[in-house]
Amino acid sequence: MREKGCYLGIDVGSVSTNLVIIDSYGNILEKLYLKTGGQPIKAIRSGINILADVFGQSIDILGAGTTGSGRQLANVIIGSDIVKNEITSHAVAAQKLVPNVRTILEIGGQDSKIILVRNGVVYDFAMNTVCAAGTGSFLDRQASRLEIPIEEFGKYALSSTLAVRIAGRCAVFAESDMIHKQQTGHSIEDIINGLCEALVRNYMNNLAKGKELAEPIVFQGGVAANQGIVAAFERELKAKIIIPEYYDVMGAYGAALMAREKMRHKAYKTNFVGFDISKKDYKVSTMECHDCSNMCELIKIISDDVVLARWGDRCGKWSELDRNYGQVSLGH
Amino acid sequence: MSIKVGIPRSLFYYQMYPLWQTFFEELGAEVVVSENTSKKILDDGVRICVDEACLPVKLFHGHVISLKDRVDYLFIPRMTSISKGEYICPKVGGLPDMIRSSIKGLPEIIDVEINLRKSGSSELESALDIGSYVCKDGRRIKRAYIKALDKFNEYKADVERGFIPGDDINRKRNIYVVKNSELLNIAIIGHPYNLYDSYVNMNLISKLRGDGINIITHEMVSEEIINSYADKLNKKVFWNFGRKALGSVRHFVERNDIKGIIFVVSFGCGIDAFIGDLAERIVRRNSSIPFMFISLDEHSGEAGLDTRLEAFTDMIRWRSKNESNFSAHG
Repeated sequence: MREKGCYLGIDVGSVSTNLVIIDSYGNILEKLYLKTGGQPIKAIRSGINILADVFGQSIDILGAGTTGSGRQLANVIIGSDIVKNEITSHAVAAQKLVPNVRTILEIGGQDSKIILVRNGVVYDFAMNTVCAAGTGSFLDRQASRLEIPIEEFGKYALSSTLAVRIAGRCAVFAESDMIHKQQTGHSIEDIINGLCEALVRNYMNNLAKGKELAEPIVFQGGVAANQGIVAAFERELKAKIIIPEYYDVMGAYGAALMAREKMRHKAYKTNFVGFDISKKDYKVSTMECHDCSNMCELIKIISDDVVLARWGDRCGKWSELDRNYGQVSLGH
Repeated sequence: MSIKVGIPRSLFYYQMYPLWQTFFEELGAEVVVSENTSKKILDDGVRICVDEACLPVKLFHGHVISLKDRVDYLFIPRMTSISKGEYICPKVGGLPDMIRSSIKGLPEIIDVEINLRKSGSSELESALDIGSYVCKDGRRIKRAYIKALDKFNEYKADVERGFIPGDDINRKRNIYVVKNSELLNIAIIGHPYNLYDSYVNMNLISKLRGDGINIITHEMVSEEIINSYADKLNKKVFWNFGRKALGSVRHFVERNDIKGIIFVVSFGCGIDAFIGDLAERIVRRNSSIPFMFISLDEHSGEAGLDTRLEAFTDMIRWRSKNESNFSAHG
């Protein structure tokens, strides 16, 4: 049966690219968690490809939303109706799954965030400052250094009897502390447990300082899969941490929900270009503009010889050229 | 041919330029300002400056490099204190020495100390010293200084009325304060060299404006108001910027038209670390106004900044929608 009115959400993050399809009630029909692998366009296309295989012609996409640090890029490729920041997206998704949520902990690939919700609205938030210590990409790197699959990483911490002290302020110091402890003979379980505690300590200090972390507390983002971190958070906060069912794709889910919210009240047609984007050819070229001493690094996205978008210029003279983001040339 | 005095478009340029420019021009000198901050200036500065300096000091080095071969003098006053009982950051005070030890082939530096910390110390004396580099007539220097002060006061009055200086301090970014109920008032506090240098702050001002924000900076708050609020602080703040920042934060918290406060800090700035934290406490203890730090450094990835700004304004709109009893999902 042809499902009426579905919505697509895409979250292009530094480590993962996630896609979600929801129905008109906001229920998730399909979710994908793909590694971005440094190639966001490839990840977006393969995600769309998989969705096309799963649904074929059986659904109509009435609206699409993009989020994550690659949200503009995703918007150019798929044509979306709403482009939103990750904080708003995560808050919307958490409230859908845990309606009375008051605190959202979110740790992704290179960002970590805390979002406080009061009376159903985002009341306060904070993001990590300049260092990415304690985020997914650092854990990924440590897991591969220790030759432990990232999926198993957190389990090791659970069987530890003692958490050794690891510096959590800085990824470089944390790594040298871990190596030092490993050379003195500490078990891998204790070192990983120590790392989990260090990361939580750093998170509390960097993001949660001075904030009231009221229950219910939801933990989402890719790192929520790490049981060691979850346990360390529970010890630190002395509270139950709720991991929502779709914890790893909450950004994409939020983007889909916002697309639904926007489009269901509006008469206009979605900008979504359709599932056949995998048949199109996308190229990215970069150049340095030498028209002034800023020497901006320009990015140009080209599809089938049509320039879809350019960005990276400070003055705006290149990005202005393709203001409508190529939606016309994609056959609308 | 007139004497060329070079002024780096950096640090105190963003506060004092109308004064400096008028003063030197009245004395018959030609004022040359380095161009707007660019990747080249940043790269040059980062390469030559000591590693542990903050980004603004590194940028200053870059601006000096771009100027040094085009001018007869470089104007780098030793800014120890610009008002009674207060200090400026030690790196700014030691700037002429840092520049001399890091950069080769410099023209003569006008590095007269400006120290108004003690009562009785006079600005005019410093002005006479500075002027003597380009003019030998004491009366003319005095006249030039008085004229420059007039220009400077005019400029400060413009800023208090709501003008935001652009990268070129003489070019205003906004001539009229928009009184439109649709616009959200957001207060922005930060060193002027961070607020007005659009390269360093990645177009912070125009990004917020483009999102329907009316910006109120701490520089728009009058000295009287700042002082009256600064007097209420537990302890005297002896940094010039610190007093202004904390005095204006206390004032913003009591106004009912400020919907959010953004504190722009330089990564690694000691003064910002103290003052920012105190400012956050004032805001959180005395109000429910949303507060956010924006931390600037060498990174040029704008996604992080865009996400924070967008989430911040989203949150404010969401909150005010909710307060006026509209559905948040409407």
